[in-house]
Amino acid sequence: MTASRLFELLIALLYLAGSITYPLGLLLRQSILKRLAIGMSVAAFGLHSADLVLRFMELGTANLYHGQFYLNFLAWIFVLIFFVLWWRLKHDFLSMISAPLALILFSSSLAIRTQVLAVPKYFSALWFSLHVGAIFVSLALLAMAFGAGLAYLYFERKIKTKAKLPGFSQDLPSLETFDRANDWATRIGFPLYTISLLAGFLWASFTWKQAISWDPKELISIVIWFIFALLFHQRLALGWRGRKPAKTAIVLFVLSLISLVGVNFLLPTHHSFR
Amino acid sequence: MNQEIYLIGLNHKIAGVDIRERYALTSCDPQAINEVVRLDGVNEAMVLSTCNRVEFLVVANRQPDIPQQIRKFWAKLCNQPQKDLLDHTYSHENSQAVTHLFTVASSLDSMIVGEPQILGQLKTAYRQSLESGTAKVIINRMLHKAFSVAKRIRTETAIASSAVSISYAAVELARKIFTDLSNHRALLVGAGEMAELAATHLLTSGVRDLTVVNRTLTRANELAKQFGGRALPFEDLHQALLETDIVITSTGSPTAIITAKSMKEVLRKRRNKPIFFIDIAVPRDIDPDVNSLDNIYLYDIDDLKDVVEENLAGRQQEALKAKAIVDEEVTTFMRWRESLALQPTIVDLLGQGESIARRELRRSIRQLGPDPDPQMVAVLERLARSLSHKIYHEPINYLKRRAQEEGAAQHCIHTTRRIFNLDSDHIPVDAHWNRKK
Repeated sequence: MTASRLFELLIALLYLAGSITYPLGLLLRQSILKRLAIGMSVAAFGLHSADLVLRFMELGTANLYHGQFYLNFLAWIFVLIFFVLWWRLKHDFLSMISAPLALILFSSSLAIRTQVLAVPKYFSALWFSLHVGAIFVSLALLAMAFGAGLAYLYFERKIKTKAKLPGFSQDLPSLETFDRANDWATRIGFPLYTISLLAGFLWASFTWKQAISWDPKELISIVIWFIFALLFHQRLALGWRGRKPAKTAIVLFVLSLISLVGVNFLLPTHHSFR
Repeated sequence: MNQEIYLIGLNHKIAGVDIRERYALTSCDPQAINEVVRLDGVNEAMVLSTCNRVEFLVVANRQPDIPQQIRKFWAKLCNQPQKDLLDHTYSHENSQAVTHLFTVASSLDSMIVGEPQILGQLKTAYRQSLESGTAKVIINRMLHKAFSVAKRIRTETAIASSAVSISYAAVELARKIFTDLSNHRALLVGAGEMAELAATHLLTSGVRDLTVVNRTLTRANELAKQFGGRALPFEDLHQALLETDIVITSTGSPTAIITAKSMKEVLRKRRNKPIFFIDIAVPRDIDPDVNSLDNIYLYDIDDLKDVVEENLAGRQQEALKAKAIVDEEVTTFMRWRESLALQPTIVDLLGQGESIARRELRRSIRQLGPDPDPQMVAVLERLARSLSHKIYHEPINYLKRRAQEEGAAQHCIHTTRRIFNLDSDHIPVDAHWNRKK
């Protein structure tokens, strides 16, 4: 086992520990455990960033076509977005979703050995980076909205039905905060998603001389875009709040996961890493 | 003699809001309520009616159908069927009734254990019954004792200081809905102690400001001044709902003032900004359907009670202490009452002795001839009187001793009266005038 492999294992272990410690701290209502979990996420994120830099130097610019690097980078974006929302929402509860997702993505990036995607030499690096970068941030925001949405639906039901709130809810933020995570995902995620799609089509039209090739990834992305557009419109124009946006965000994230795992890794299309 | 204490009532534990609304006596004419003393066998009465309870405290001759009579009277007062009262009322007698009264007075039975309002309400009810003359010896003593028990519990236990109030629970809930209360405004619709308490709590917890809406604008102005908020006339309620996020309602309106239909419109105009309603009024001010709308949370007084109960465990210890005080005081009171029951028998016994002595003395003096020696007569008189006193001394002591044991007094009195045949030939006007042989 090489040194870099050990290094990556350490990052994965830190994410794992963070994923377990945070919910534990929440359930046992020990803020020290939660702080520890966040600390581990921060440490993992630092190492992870270093790892990315190393890989980047090792592989050169073409690294985003690499399946394992793709997931590795996505995991990093998830944690980054978590930090941003932690700062904005003044609450660290989204660690519940960011740490496990980062763990899953990062360890899958270690597990899979896929070959580098064959890309025509005359690709346009700018459009492609925009395509992948924007979709990653938007996906990370959706993941946070997914976590916040589940929490919102759970607590909203409890409060609506006047059920007894579990003790750990004292340390969790209010419904308003959960909804703000959704607001963030909608306001920033949707424009980014749109940019990503446009960049993708532009890039495709430069490289393959056709904007759309009707592969499953493109189709599902368009479906996601329409739902996302609906959410964006209803939220901003009609003032949707609470349950409906929460549910929509959950649907959107699940669809994105299907598109990510199912299409990129299982189906033979030009989006896949096979 | 043979007067029993009955307490028939309902509270928030046994009856839901709708039952309490229907059987509340707050709007009834006090004169009509006082008619309860006209019921057959009832000697004293006091009626307490608050938004969480209705209690009939009655001192009556021993009759098994007293609770039934009270329920019938009560149902008639409210123009409601008697049937619901059977399932949703409790009926206590004697020491149980006294225990209940003391528990209520010391706020141990309140929805918010330790809240001070109930004592004031009880004092008002007592004053009314005094003024109308329906409270006599036993109720007087019982209520005075109740007030002193409440005071003892207030000073000797932490029940009052640790009272977790409904308003506190409401604020906690508001914190689960809104992130930062200082970004949100509160609205008080109607007035009332409970609502004002909740408003105070919200303000101290940092809500941005408070608006008061009331049917009478002058009262709204008063309250607004008190809380440093603004007052609006009742017609502007709809407008106020657009600007505020936490709404406490507590009007005396018999019908709902906020309906689901009107809230749909308000929500649309608010762009679905969440709104938290706390309905303290009985009957309710807000249509329960409102809760089914997204982004609206409606809690009425019963819902809050459930939330409050979670905090009960921590105060268990203090509650036990308070209960011990209640039990102790109930024992003292019952002792007094039994000794009260003893009084006529002691008077009878002594009276019987006196009359026998007098009769025998007359006979003896007659035997001394037409002109008895006055000194001799005086000696005989003293002898007769002291004999009768001495003979009855031990039985009376025995009675007093046994009366200390709960429940024993009645039996002892009964036996004593039979032994000395106190009831057959001579009944003094001041004793057991209601006893029928």
